[in-house]
Amino acid sequence: MENIETRLREEAARLLAEKKVDVVIGYEPGTLPLVATPCFITAPEDAGRLVFNPFCVQNLAKFVTDLIAAHRDSQKRLKKEEKTKKIIGIVARGCTSRSLVIQLQERQYGREEVVILGVPCNGYVDNKKMAALLEGQEVREGRLQGDKILVTTARMDKEILLAQVTADNCLTCRFNNPVIQDVMLAEAAPARDVSGEYAPVEKLSRLADAERWDYFMKEMDKCIRCYACRNACPSCYCRSCFVEQSQPQWIGLGPDRSDSEVFQIMRLYHMAGRCVDCGSCIAVCPMNIDLRSYLKKLDSDGWNLFGHRAGATLEEPALLSTFAESDGQDFAFEPE
Amino acid sequence: MAENQEKEDWEPKIVAIVCNWCTYAGADLAGISRIQYPSNVRILRVPCTGRINPFYIVKALQEGADGVLVSGCHPGECHYLTGNLIARRKFALLKSFLSYIGVEGDRTLFTWVSASEGERFAKVIRQVTGAVKALGPANRLVKQ
Repeated sequence: MENIETRLREEAARLLAEKKVDVVIGYEPGTLPLVATPCFITAPEDAGRLVFNPFCVQNLAKFVTDLIAAHRDSQKRLKKEEKTKKIIGIVARGCTSRSLVIQLQERQYGREEVVILGVPCNGYVDNKKMAALLEGQEVREGRLQGDKILVTTARMDKEILLAQVTADNCLTCRFNNPVIQDVMLAEAAPARDVSGEYAPVEKLSRLADAERWDYFMKEMDKCIRCYACRNACPSCYCRSCFVEQSQPQWIGLGPDRSDSEVFQIMRLYHMAGRCVDCGSCIAVCPMNIDLRSYLKKLDSDGWNLFGHRAGATLEEPALLSTFAESDGQDFAFEPE
Repeated sequence: MAENQEKEDWEPKIVAIVCNWCTYAGADLAGISRIQYPSNVRILRVPCTGRINPFYIVKALQEGADGVLVSGCHPGECHYLTGNLIARRKFALLKSFLSYIGVEGDRTLFTWVSASEGERFAKVIRQVTGAVKALGPANRLVKQ
């Protein structure tokens, strides 16, 4: 880990000094212990702030579309020949690089506008799992030592194994190394056991219709429609989102439970072929909604029906922007 | 919809979203040929099945439709060449996803009817109406 950080800082400082990039998006230590927060480095001397550790949760690809959109807006009134491109350096692990692939497939920016600093990843810490182990006590101090986290709270000192608190999506991660990169900052991480990848989907599929509906309703009833999931999602980059549209108004604003359900169905469905299972939406959800069981279903359908894995390669087009003559149509209704 | 559900002689309301070039013409043919079919469908005409936002289907269910039928040209016969092939992928995923969350499979139906298949259109409507009737009034996802 130390090694990656040293290389990361060197590389970021070099890119900034050589003006190869205008900004590097990475992680810096947060203001609380055991937290890392996204940061934007614009001067080579600030590159020392960068860190990369198991507390780096959020998918940084989100900020690439944000920064590029803001930059393009700022240049709206310039003449064509005066317009410049903003080149963005980004620290990318597997899921972040897949999100970048999706944004590139969807032509949000050109490949030359991003410089990808690839990092291998062994998974990040799920704060909700950690909070459960600490019985909700506030972390006073904490540090990482090998594969253990040493935590001090007001009432106890605890040693937590990293594997105990690794997020679910990381435990069965198929792409823990970047799929595209300009520089790889360390040796590739060892492959994970992906056999349990679709376990949540299989579990839910075994239930009867009505039970699945009850589970869906129970989960979505928690939704307070804060839209944090959408705001954290690197695939949700639309300037105007369907939830805020008023002509037509897709989602009612009242307390009707069907509105939350419809919002969730549509946000989830928008992730068909676009969800990289980075877990950002789950990490930011204040109500702890089980979004993963549903996102994984779309992922497994994409793979089983069309042999497509979201953001796996830049060579293939996006799942729903293409078709094959041989696509299955068993789902179609055939009158007798 | 609430008042509809209370009635004893309940009849389903089915939204049929059909493409202008094949199924709508097929429905026209069924009409011209005086083929009888149940009057439970409300037809919405769109240029192509590829134009249908999957949201239409979810929204129709939320607003109280007991069933949604989507029908277009047979694959390979799209007026716009590939519109229905793109739609086919979307609908395969949507149907699978909706039944996964627990909306009954027979509430969302997809089929192909060409302009010359008036008889097939009537048959589809008869059977879809029967299938939705068998399920009873929609109560999942419906706005109260």
